[in-house]
Amino acid sequence: MTQITEKQEAREFHAEATSVWRITFGPLLWAVHFVVSYSATAVVCAKGGDVGVLRLGIGIGTFLALAGIAWLGWRAWQQWDTLRNRGWENDTGTSQDRHQFLGHAAFLLAAISFIGVVYVALPPLLIESCQ
Amino acid sequence: MYVHSRNALACLAAAFVLSACDGRQSVLAPSGTDALSVFDLARVMFIGAVVLWLLVGTLFIYVTRINPREMSRRKAEILIVGGGVVFPVLLLGALLVYSLPLMNAPRLADEGLRVHITAEQWWWRVDYELPDGTRIPSANELRLPVGTRTGLVLNAKKVIHSFWVPALGGKTDMIPGRETFQSLQPVTAGVYRGQCAEFCGASHALMAFETVAMEPEDFAAWLEAEARDAQPPATAPARRGAKIFAREGCGGCHTVRGTDAVGQVGPDLTHVGSRKSLAAGILDVTAEDFADWIGHTDAIKPEVAMPSYDFLPREDLAALGIYLEGLK
Ligand code: HEC
Ligand SMILES: [Cu+2]
Repeated sequence: MTQITEKQEAREFHAEATSVWRITFGPLLWAVHFVVSYSATAVVCAKGGDVGVLRLGIGIGTFLALAGIAWLGWRAWQQWDTLRNRGWENDTGTSQDRHQFLGHAAFLLAAISFIGVVYVALPPLLIESCQ
Repeated sequence: MYVHSRNALACLAAAFVLSACDGRQSVLAPSGTDALSVFDLARVMFIGAVVLWLLVGTLFIYVTRINPREMSRRKAEILIVGGGVVFPVLLLGALLVYSLPLMNAPRLADEGLRVHITAEQWWWRVDYELPDGTRIPSANELRLPVGTRTGLVLNAKKVIHSFWVPALGGKTDMIPGRETFQSLQPVTAGVYRGQCAEFCGASHALMAFETVAMEPEDFAAWLEAEARDAQPPATAPARRGAKIFAREGCGGCHTVRGTDAVGQVGPDLTHVGSRKSLAAGILDVTAEDFADWIGHTDAIKPEVAMPSYDFLPREDLAALGIYLEGLK
């Protein structure tokens, strides 16, 4: 009997490994968007490239990053399941708590990443030149 | 002591009020498109900050004094998530969307006229470039037509300076070996004071200039006059001054177009008598001030690059003053 629960626990614990990874994906998209936007701007402005194309590119990249983060955020929201299972704490150490806590963390990270991407994108989208 | 500090305080208050009224060099008296939009931004920020401060303060008093009861969980969540996350994100986002585009205007290209301004220690080399490429050299004063955008191509000789006419627009650094750009669009004719806004040495505080915003017709007439050679001295004392100018070698450093003086070290003096100020916004354009300047340069501007001609007799300085003041 204990054998079975332990095995089951181990399996569930293992299944959570992917969602540990998943909580990093939001900030990762933010970081990639940040690095690509900044370096592309630096190169285009220093080498005298087409600023219009650059801004269009950043616009498209921003749209893709936001779509990705929104999707991750939605998945995390479902995993957190806070509407059905109200309460901010998941501190009892059960597998369900672990599952919801990881969803909670991933959701908050997705939210901050979303805001980060929007704020990074606003200057190149609203300022029309390199000056 | 007490009376003393009260007087000082009154002076300070008066200075604050008066300087705001005068407005020749004040961001609080905007007279250019860019200064106006920054002034709007400042008002939005200030009023917004006051409203927010009152709001948060009132809320604080409400929950701690007026109604200090436990809140329902739902209410508390709305307050924290709504007031702590959603509201600031939206507000800051809106401010970004409003303020970022303001940075476009001063970087917009000129509408025909460009002025090359090079900051030296401690004066301004000014060079008007017309659409057809013609160059008209000048110094220590900037004239702009009202209603159009004039481009300013900024440079510096040896150290970093910063170009700033508070009543017309923001400031832009002037960096040796690197061109920076700003454009200005005055909306009302008038004389505004500019000031070097980056410490650049002993006489940094004495490095200013007048900016004269003129109606387009007046500006065109002025520019035409500025392009002409210097008027020959008209009176006997002025002619004597011109001779002393030649004898003392002033032309080794200064240009007076139409004469043998073609030096490039100091400011162009072709029309120095028609400027609003002397020695980069420091003295008046009178024969006496010219004489004072030439006889006591380093007393007026510490470490200045022009030698003091304190060995010249008073009459010679006076004659030089009369000659230069006549260079309209
Ligand atoms: C070694 C070069 C040099 C010589 C020689 C020289 N000047 Fe100057 N002069 C300068 C410089 C540099 C300035 C700008 C100083 C400043 O404002 O920092 C200046 C400024 C002036 C100005 C003020 C210009 C303005 O735009 O307000 C006048 C007037 C002037 N000089 C007259 C003379 C006369 C007259 C002589 C001869 C008696 C003379 N200078 C000789 C370098 C020189
Ligand atoms: Cu300076």
